[in-house]
Amino acid sequence: MKKIKSKQYIVMAATFVILALVPIFINNNYYITILNQMVINMLVVFGLNFITGLTGQMNLGTAGIYALGAYTSALLSRNFGISPWLTMIAAVFVGFLIGRGLGYPSLKMRGVYLSLTTLAFSEIVRIFATNLVSITGGTQGVKNIPRFAVGFIQLDSNVKYFYFVLIVTIVLCLLSIKITHSKWGREFRAVKDNVDAIESLGLDIKKIKIRAFTIAAMYGALGGALYAHFNQFITSTSFTTDLSISYVIMLMIGGIGNIFGNIIGAIVITLLPELLRFLGDYYQITYCILVLLCAVFLPNGLISLYGKARHLYEKKSAVKGGE
Amino acid sequence: MWEILIQLIVSGIAMGFIYALVGIEYTLIWNASGVLNFSHDKMITTGAYIFGGTYILGLGMDFIPGIIVSLITVAILGIVIAKVIFIPLRNMTMIYTIMATVMLGKIIVEAIRLIWGPVPFSVPGFLIGTVKIGSTVISIANIAIIITASICVLALQLFLYKTKPGKAMRCVAQSRKAAQLMGIDVTSVMTVSVIISMIICCLIGILVSPLLNITTTMSNMIGLKGFAAGIIGGFGYLPGSILGGLCIGIIENIASMVLPSVYKDIVAFVLLIIFLLIRPKGITGKTR
Repeated sequence: MKKIKSKQYIVMAATFVILALVPIFINNNYYITILNQMVINMLVVFGLNFITGLTGQMNLGTAGIYALGAYTSALLSRNFGISPWLTMIAAVFVGFLIGRGLGYPSLKMRGVYLSLTTLAFSEIVRIFATNLVSITGGTQGVKNIPRFAVGFIQLDSNVKYFYFVLIVTIVLCLLSIKITHSKWGREFRAVKDNVDAIESLGLDIKKIKIRAFTIAAMYGALGGALYAHFNQFITSTSFTTDLSISYVIMLMIGGIGNIFGNIIGAIVITLLPELLRFLGDYYQITYCILVLLCAVFLPNGLISLYGKARHLYEKKSAVKGGE
Repeated sequence: MWEILIQLIVSGIAMGFIYALVGIEYTLIWNASGVLNFSHDKMITTGAYIFGGTYILGLGMDFIPGIIVSLITVAILGIVIAKVIFIPLRNMTMIYTIMATVMLGKIIVEAIRLIWGPVPFSVPGFLIGTVKIGSTVISIANIAIIITASICVLALQLFLYKTKPGKAMRCVAQSRKAAQLMGIDVTSVMTVSVIISMIICCLIGILVSPLLNITTTMSNMIGLKGFAAGIIGGFGYLPGSILGGLCIGIIENIASMVLPSVYKDIVAFVLLIIFLLIRPKGITGKTR
């Protein structure tokens, strides 16, 4: 078991190295934009993994959290000239508040309440962002969000920004691995696997769930802030329920509860629209059917294919050895 | 002043009945199979498209035969969806069932876009006009909604309490395992629930088509508020969702006197969160 895990970390590191090498070979600005988006998505999915992947509570409001993070950082840094470093911390703090404030009412009971409240929450955020035109600019959006500098390096080009986001993502990836293997991570998984057993051990399920949701919200808000400073323009029309759903799809396609799976999911789902573009009008429906089939027939995601293939291979070699 | 208030209350009751019907429609599936149907708003849209797009504008039928034929069509569609989606999903974990129904909703939207095209339309001459009672003006669409929804609720109660399949549905809602042990065919109960749910969805779609244009996003808000109605009344308890729906409809319409009208949609969600904080089991205090 330990061998598989360490193999997975090697592949994970290799994936990051390959991602880091891509801008050297591709100069097309469009692809660099997609790369940035991909890495930011990865970061959000790491967060979502805690609440939906490990704890097993469906969060359908990632778009609302992401939007609040983006607006907080964008508005504070543009209107008040505060350093984006501080505003990003503010965004993470907003994420913390969302996690506590929304997690408390919806997670104190068992059931589907979290999916419904998060869905409603992201709708509320979208309605406010669209209609508070004097603050958020409505559908016209917030323009001229500043980029920032790391030490002496000004992150003025998309490639430089990509390396910055990649480093942040790698750090958060390591943090995720750390949390997953700590006491917290084991508690999260226990809630998903057997609620009654964990209750009989005297642990407070409510607290564990709220903690998982808070971490998810903090990751999501940071992702939103990074997106705002990358794109330098945000509008309320991009934070729809479809965005929340596509984050859950990334989580499911890659492999639920598995960090390497999250990376794969974010890469595949961000690239899929580019790969399936030739389908034209039929693109969306093909995509949805593919995802539905994956949800039903491959519940553990693409990552489980490796295990299955290995199993098959070992079976074959065992048969050969028997001869 | 008073006329405006009465007008708002009447249209609030009408919208409240719509939310109540939405609440009933997904509660039926939830009780029968434990799957929360996140594609229900798209099923409402499908009903409106089948009625308006195909039978009225496409085939030029009259309204009454058009309604009957569309109800039969969605019932057949309901059998297919039950067999293909809901029955295989009944034993899966919650996150997968939610994801599967969400994706089903997206597939329905794309299918609608491919079949009927992306341009919004409305059904001309359907439930248009107003009636004057005293000095208050009430639109015919609202009256039609109130009457149809009341009939629908009464018929459902009769079905659930007087007929054998209805009693089986109530048994399954109470305990699926016990019902199965008592020899009730749970999968056929699920199929019946999905069919009834689809018929109610189609009715909702037809009833709201005079109020909203027929588009792929027409029922997003109605669907979400239906969920809120369920929680406010008591999740999984049919009379609860009727009560919750009426509450939301009336309160949000009265709130639109004070709040700017763009924020009307928020009222239901704020109520939802307040109820979860103070009284998570809803007004009736029953969940199932």
